[in-house]
Amino acid sequence: MSEMLYWQALNRAMDAEMAADETVLTLGEDVGLYGGTYRVTEGLMAKYGEWRVRDTPISENSFTGLGVGAAMLGLRPVVEIMTINFALFAMDAIVNMAAKIPFMSGGQFPMPLTIRMPGGVAKQLGAQHSQRLEHMLMNVPGLRIVVPATPQDAYWQLRQAIRSDDPILVLEHELLYFSKGDVDEATLAPPIHQAVARRRGRDITCIAYSRMLPLALQAAETLAAEGIELTVIDPRSLSPIDWDTCVRAVEQTHRCLIVEEDCRFAGAGAEFAATLQERCFYLLDAPIQRVAGMDIPTPFNGTLEAASIPRGEHIVQAARQMMAQQ
Amino acid sequence: MRFCRKKAMDKAQMAAMLRDMLRARAFEEAAAQGYAQGNIAGFLHLYPGEEAVAVGVLHAAEPGDYVVSTYREHVHALVRGIPARQIMAELYGKKTGVSGGMGGSMHLFDKDRRFLGGYAIVGETFPIALGAGYAVAYRKLPEAVLCFFGDGAVNQGTFHESLNMAALWKLPIFFVCENNHYQIGTEIHRHSAVTEVYKRACGYGIPAEKVDGMDVVAVHKAAKRALDRVRAGDGPQFLELETYRYRGHSMADPGSYRPAAELNAYQANDPIAAAVHVAEHPYPSADAIALAGADCVTRFTDHCCEGGHLDDAAVERMRREIQEEVADAVAFAEQSDAPNMDDAWKAFHRNRRFETLMETAQ
Amino acid sequence: MKAEITMPVLSDTMQTGRLTRWNKAVGEVIKKGEAVAEVETDKAILDVEAFADGFLAGPLAAVDTDIPVRQVIGYIADTPEATKTDSGGAARVAATTAPPAPPSAAPGAVPEKKTAPPDTLQPTAPAAAATPPDTAPSEKPASPLPPHTPTAAAAALQPPHAGGLQASPYARALARDLELDLSQVKPGPDGIIHAAQVLASALAPEDADLRRGPPYTIERPSMLRAAVARNMSATLDTPTFLISSRFATAPLHAAAKQAGLSLTLALTRACALTVAEDPWFNQVWTRQGLAKRSRVDVGIAVDTGDGLITPVLRDAASRPLKELVEDWRILLGKVKKGRIYPEDYQGASFYLSNLGVFPEVERFNAIVPVGASAILAVAAVGSDGRADFTLSCDHRVIFGADAARFLQRLGKRLEDLSWLATGEGGL
Repeated sequence: MSEMLYWQALNRAMDAEMAADETVLTLGEDVGLYGGTYRVTEGLMAKYGEWRVRDTPISENSFTGLGVGAAMLGLRPVVEIMTINFALFAMDAIVNMAAKIPFMSGGQFPMPLTIRMPGGVAKQLGAQHSQRLEHMLMNVPGLRIVVPATPQDAYWQLRQAIRSDDPILVLEHELLYFSKGDVDEATLAPPIHQAVARRRGRDITCIAYSRMLPLALQAAETLAAEGIELTVIDPRSLSPIDWDTCVRAVEQTHRCLIVEEDCRFAGAGAEFAATLQERCFYLLDAPIQRVAGMDIPTPFNGTLEAASIPRGEHIVQAARQMMAQQ
Repeated sequence: MRFCRKKAMDKAQMAAMLRDMLRARAFEEAAAQGYAQGNIAGFLHLYPGEEAVAVGVLHAAEPGDYVVSTYREHVHALVRGIPARQIMAELYGKKTGVSGGMGGSMHLFDKDRRFLGGYAIVGETFPIALGAGYAVAYRKLPEAVLCFFGDGAVNQGTFHESLNMAALWKLPIFFVCENNHYQIGTEIHRHSAVTEVYKRACGYGIPAEKVDGMDVVAVHKAAKRALDRVRAGDGPQFLELETYRYRGHSMADPGSYRPAAELNAYQANDPIAAAVHVAEHPYPSADAIALAGADCVTRFTDHCCEGGHLDDAAVERMRREIQEEVADAVAFAEQSDAPNMDDAWKAFHRNRRFETLMETAQ
Repeated sequence: MKAEITMPVLSDTMQTGRLTRWNKAVGEVIKKGEAVAEVETDKAILDVEAFADGFLAGPLAAVDTDIPVRQVIGYIADTPEATKTDSGGAARVAATTAPPAPPSAAPGAVPEKKTAPPDTLQPTAPAAAATPPDTAPSEKPASPLPPHTPTAAAAALQPPHAGGLQASPYARALARDLELDLSQVKPGPDGIIHAAQVLASALAPEDADLRRGPPYTIERPSMLRAAVARNMSATLDTPTFLISSRFATAPLHAAAKQAGLSLTLALTRACALTVAEDPWFNQVWTRQGLAKRSRVDVGIAVDTGDGLITPVLRDAASRPLKELVEDWRILLGKVKKGRIYPEDYQGASFYLSNLGVFPEVERFNAIVPVGASAILAVAAVGSDGRADFTLSCDHRVIFGADAARFLQRLGKRLEDLSWLATGEGGL
């Protein structure tokens, strides 16, 4: 067990998998000599050589497709797309190839492909560099999506993604790279898509993922001082979603609040809300609520940028309001 | 002695290629019939006219090579060795199809025969071939990756991205352009600023050649040369094959945008007729020379030298056998069971068999 | 600028208050500290104090409605002009809805348009003019958080469907399981029946079926009467036993008169001293354990004409009698004016109910209020010169022998009145 930053945990996971299995390789823009724009692949090229740590030209669609083709031949490529915004160029490779080939081939071809992408609203990067986009990818059957919120989960889930024979997208958050946490490299990881309760409380089940998790946990502290007790569920995965864990929590609290940084309209929260009301309807004592980003391209101005996405106080207010109704 | 053996091998090669061309034509005609009868649904893109390309190129490949193809890929699959039964059953959407009925006409996959699939999005074959080539190069194996695409695909970004990377890292990829002059209904001079496709590979320093795609022997020879260079570690190679499809883009396309004269001209230069002609007649008659024209004579003479001695009876026997094979494939497809939703889920989840995705109970 | 006037929280148990009157009209001057309105709570009518100088501004909450605590009931404007709101104050804050959502809160099922004061609402016409015609009118570009989606907003604003009740799915399911008629359940403060209301209703005793009897009308009880009913129902879980004795009260009466005390006050002192001798009588059963009080506070039942109230004399065993007399005078004055506050009538550790002024009452017993372990009921003096003293005890705390000894000591204290004249706690 040691304390490390989120990016260091990812780096350790990459190193561990590359050392253990020589079919594992990584490619992307500036992953090699430069060491990765968020340092995730730092030191790997020197250790494993350029055929296993490949700097690519700026050709997202084709180098992601390269990952697909290599995976069809049994390699385990980890494609880094510098930010999720650039993945829009690679949507054909992700959606039409990676997600479809295993199925269209009648199950003949596994797709041991991992695609790592940082995303989210960071600090005034402008509308083209502040997207989340998980909702787009969630709507594609055949893709699996994990959203680690802690260094420990980043370490576990990246290793598990690399070992999986399905295409898995690891959505990292730009503001989490320098968050600190304990990482236990020896303990057996929980199942990759299992959700966990980060906190238990009787009143409201709050579902929050990626960078929204720390906000939700802080809000829960504030609310606890007022006598409102939150269960905070970290789904850890957006596809598939561990419904059983979510349902059990909602059944105990009878109220559910979903927090997402992504835009509200047709976002991940909509899926949580829809399915949880299907499964928990008769145990709900209040409508399921969402705290989400605004349906607007992210403004550059810092004040407006901050106003366009959820903050801890929004979670606190939403929870108070849910309780005040009764 | 050595000379004789070479001749014998060439004769067998000729016969095999002729057989595959006849099979290809008969298979596609049966598919068209099945479509017209309502037994095959969806899109159906047929190959007649272009047989020399698939046959010539794939007969130059080794079993260890990988093939990536487009949505017009029945014949590539057939020549690659996938049984006609399994291809026809896939066209019919049956469980016994090569992709279990999950892929259909445009998505034939066969892992054992290293057939990496038919892709229905124009331009996708490049990155797939790129990845396969990367894997082969990484493993340092003497294998090649054959990447088929049409003239319409070369304006897609992936063409340029992938050619660049393939050349940059000297990947063992053989790019084969089936230039049939049309992207659906838009003729090449209306969709490309440079209509000689092979020239576009020069931008990436990839050796490229243009060959008559209606001449199976020429195609075969050029493919052989290119693949030899690929295997020698010279990096990617590029071959443009000028050819023509007799039918429309798909079964839904009458192809009416093309002048009848153009179609007739290409049909007069039918590669099968030419191949039969070459195979049947070791020595040309004066009439034959007059009929085929100067160009054909050259080709014809080349082949005659190397030999195939096939008579009418042998070709007829071949045609009968092929008719039986195709009829059997159609009957097999018709009688096969349709897959059910369970089969679909099994195909979908087959690769997560050994994984625990999440705990189902606390 | 307008400051909010909210329904004050006047006790820890108070959830709603009934607005009984506005003392000022819209536009009138208000001084900080002034009473702008009156609110009826559990047991009293209280003032709503102004926390700012200014002018009363609408919209004002409607009189005679029950309003959740902390909800805005009106405004204080800093200029007379600012009091002129849209419809001249005609708009009323709906009484049965939740407080307006803060602008940054997640839009929820709270029917915002009904509750928000008009000046925080998007005026329909300007909004429509400022946004493209194909934009849903509910979109608020200035809101720091995402607006309702058009469909969500429409659903939230829909009135309950005709003849239907609004109840949460969980509340409905609970009602079905408990075989409860939802139409008999009183909705929560937001006008919707939640699980909490169903459970409360299930635990409440069933109402009598009045339909077979004489015709009747239903009248809403006063807040005081409703509170007594609630408090008395809450004692149902207390296992109680009764123990009685008869004591002569004439000597006490005489001594009290001499000391210038009412008999009630003298009895209170006697009880307080007796309680102080046996700490069991100053303890109460709670789920966490026995709560041991360090002071004897005696609650004394007083008839207000419209029900019962129990003003409390704090520290009745050890403070000088003179102080108690003064306290009692003030408390009775407050009761008379209806200006008694929760801190005046809540939290006694022992209770006394004296019906001695009714000569017909030979004997009665009282109900132990929640929060105490015993109550003493004193009846009228009989022909033998003695009055009946019946002690009701919570058996979880007090046992029969304790109670017997209590009456023994109390009896002695009524004979030997030295404690009243001098010594312990004399005047």
